[in-house]
Amino acid sequence: MTIPALDAVGAGPPDAAPAVPGPARRALAALTRNKLALAGALVLLALFAFCFLGPLLHPTDQIHTDLAQAGRAPGVGHPLGTTDLGYDQLGRLMYGGRTSLEVGLAAGLLATLLGTVYGAVAGYCGGWVDAVLMRITDAALAIPALFLLVVVATLITPSKPVLILIIASVAWLSPARLIRGEALALRSRDYLHAMRLMGGGGGRAVFRHIVPNAVGTVLVNATFQVADAILYVAYLSFLGLSVPPPAADWGSLLSAGITYTQVGHWWLIFPPGLAIVLVVAAFNCLGDGLRDAFDVRPAKG
Amino acid sequence: MGLRTTRIRGLLGRWAATALLGLPALVGCGPAGNVVTELGATGGTPVEGGTATMALPPASTPNWIFPIGAPGYLASYNSAIQDLLFLRLFTPGQKGDALTMDSPRNLAEMPRYSDHNTTVSITLKKGYAWSDGTPVTTRDVKFWFDLIKDNKREWAGYSPKLMPDDVKEFETVDNRTFRLRLDRAYNPTWFTANELQDFVALPVHAWNPRGESPRRAFARLMRHAKQFSRFATDPLWKTVDGPWRIEKWTTSGQVSLVPNRAYRGPDKPRLDRVVLKPFTTADSEFNVLRAGGVDYGYLPPAVMAQSRQFKERGYRIDPWEGWAVTYLVLNFHHPTVGALLRQDYLRQALQHLIDQKGISRVIWHGSAAPTLGPVPAGLLDDEPYPYDPGRARALLAGHGWAERDGTLRCVRPGTGADRCGAGVRGGQELRLSLLSQSGSTETSNTMQAVKSDFAKAGIVLDVRQQPLNTVLGTTVPCERTEPRCAQWQLGFFGTQGSWYFPPDPSGEKIFATHAPSNMGSWSDPETDRLIRATEYSAEPAALRDYGRTVARRLPVLWTPNPAYQVSAIRNDLRGVDQNPTLSLAPQNWYYVKKGGAGR
Repeated sequence: MTIPALDAVGAGPPDAAPAVPGPARRALAALTRNKLALAGALVLLALFAFCFLGPLLHPTDQIHTDLAQAGRAPGVGHPLGTTDLGYDQLGRLMYGGRTSLEVGLAAGLLATLLGTVYGAVAGYCGGWVDAVLMRITDAALAIPALFLLVVVATLITPSKPVLILIIASVAWLSPARLIRGEALALRSRDYLHAMRLMGGGGGRAVFRHIVPNAVGTVLVNATFQVADAILYVAYLSFLGLSVPPPAADWGSLLSAGITYTQVGHWWLIFPPGLAIVLVVAAFNCLGDGLRDAFDVRPAKG
Repeated sequence: MGLRTTRIRGLLGRWAATALLGLPALVGCGPAGNVVTELGATGGTPVEGGTATMALPPASTPNWIFPIGAPGYLASYNSAIQDLLFLRLFTPGQKGDALTMDSPRNLAEMPRYSDHNTTVSITLKKGYAWSDGTPVTTRDVKFWFDLIKDNKREWAGYSPKLMPDDVKEFETVDNRTFRLRLDRAYNPTWFTANELQDFVALPVHAWNPRGESPRRAFARLMRHAKQFSRFATDPLWKTVDGPWRIEKWTTSGQVSLVPNRAYRGPDKPRLDRVVLKPFTTADSEFNVLRAGGVDYGYLPPAVMAQSRQFKERGYRIDPWEGWAVTYLVLNFHHPTVGALLRQDYLRQALQHLIDQKGISRVIWHGSAAPTLGPVPAGLLDDEPYPYDPGRARALLAGHGWAERDGTLRCVRPGTGADRCGAGVRGGQELRLSLLSQSGSTETSNTMQAVKSDFAKAGIVLDVRQQPLNTVLGTTVPCERTEPRCAQWQLGFFGTQGSWYFPPDPSGEKIFATHAPSNMGSWSDPETDRLIRATEYSAEPAALRDYGRTVARRLPVLWTPNPAYQVSAIRNDLRGVDQNPTLSLAPQNWYYVKKGGAGR
């Protein structure tokens, strides 16, 4: 995969004509032409607005239970009904969504950051350093991530920062392998040889040349990492290993609603289920669009 | 682009995973499933043999086989299984609405009291033998007595001044009869129900063939008893006198029992096998029940409205009411919050913040009732501290607590009437931590409701959930200086009732000073005096006085008492007796079939 260096943007001859749009603008144009990616981005925007701005329009108490209001079907005052403890379900969906999105985003981005640096170092150094670092990655990949997450979450009382760390601690492996491949290809480029001849060190090579030149791959991977992280949050919550109540996230809402499947309380099950499906699908669509966008070549002629 | 194939597969994987996660949203729309039996709750021809699978309570795994219980291993399912392997001399049985000790399953005839109730003579029933053919004799009972006498501190059933301290002499009369000389006169009803029910015969010829001292033998037996993974294979546990023997006992807690063919009692097993199956949550049990994976399971309270569907599928729904009370245990010896919990006004305020009626009605869907005190509700008045957040706030404010940043802090330390109380520091936060059992939606919701009501009054309650065995192993009596005493402040293990009464519901094992099940280390001379009165006197007033006083003293915080479970039993599985003391008698279970062929 060849991705134009971002630091080359705008570096063409000053009197070159006609003007060719830079890679970033071409990527943006390609992204906006991809209807699925655009839809994904819009859905994400809508979900973020729902979770972070929604409580301003529909304020509810998500801290204290209200047994007198428990188990109400959707109706006036409670558009999505109430939970078995009397929380307004629409408000809880907004409140829980914040946890899912915050933890998912933070864990996904942290995993991408860790994996990128790790993979870039391994790929650039090569030799025994690469072999050791990659065997560590292979060994860690051999252990099922969900198993590791469950074990760690059982040992530690989960909180938002803890969830972010434990999810990132298993999710960085995939970007590490991916970026290592990129780094292997980039390390033999002329400009890296030139940098080394001029006395540039490994740190400069990794952070000023390899990582910026692999940014397309990193960005695409980050979207999938965030989607994966949101799913991990949901998995853990579904297994009862999430932030303790009254905090909530979409996975724990779904888990709590399952109990009432048999009594027809659909409003406890469909909304969080749908929210998880939507957010993960949207991130995947956006990731696919980004991948196509960064894969564009200069127009022929 | 080289990544495309991987990415597409990855994308498909994500979509599939997402769809799977969303799938539960779609369940419940499908058909109810197949009928497990066309037989009704009555009729049919009894058949011999078959396997019955019974669901264990959620997040509960049997982990103790030795009939001498150790602290932290007192779960009811442990003793229920032990009683199927090793016969007790006296077991409670239900006769109508009453509990009696005159059960046909007893290994002994009813005891005879003499010398003004200071001597008890007990005779073993004729013909009982161990599975290797050796007769059960008074030596086997003496072996049990010597073990607990020389190792009473290790026995979870020990209360100071009670068994074995209250027996001056164990006198063997012959192979079947022995006599106990007591240290004073006791109420015979109480003594039979609460002291003699501990007596069990243990195979001395198999467990102590070399005649070791009781201390050495006990230490060796305890080492075997802690080898959970070897319960099914250890030769020690193969010599039994009960109707069943162990076939399998997995580390995940699944227990398989098969008939002891050498059993000489009147109730010989009719089934080929009984399997006790563990589940992590009530919901997972419910899913297996719906799929027909258990023959004797239970419905979570949240879905009791759907019991009609189960009846249509061939199950009978039968609530199993336990003779129990339920509460939050308070660790009075905790190094930091022990001083708080010892304040009467604080316990009263906390009790005023527990909406027992609301929680029973909404969270338990009516399958629980408020706990009024330490004895059956019929002996008590109404709740002494009903739900009243206003009264709770007034009590706390009146004793020097004021809200700072949403949390109450002690602003008037000291011991005066309007002060926070002895041992409470100025500025100390009113923050408590609760270790609660996991696996039940109703318990989780109860704790959330309690936490919420505490928070409204400015009290912070941190709730941590763990499996039942972990909770039972942590919330044990402790001394202030012990590190383990700092590991818990409040505890809850009452999803299916916290304390099941002995046949005589007095409190010597639960609220007496140093009592074995006095997990929070409550110590109060008035409570001790009233408990003593129930042991010595047959007067009903003694039990009532004990109940009323302790209900008000609040050695624990009373919470709604749920039914043990709402059972769903296959219509063709008969003979099931849901005893309120939670004993099991699968030897009485049998299948019926229209045609009469074996299942």
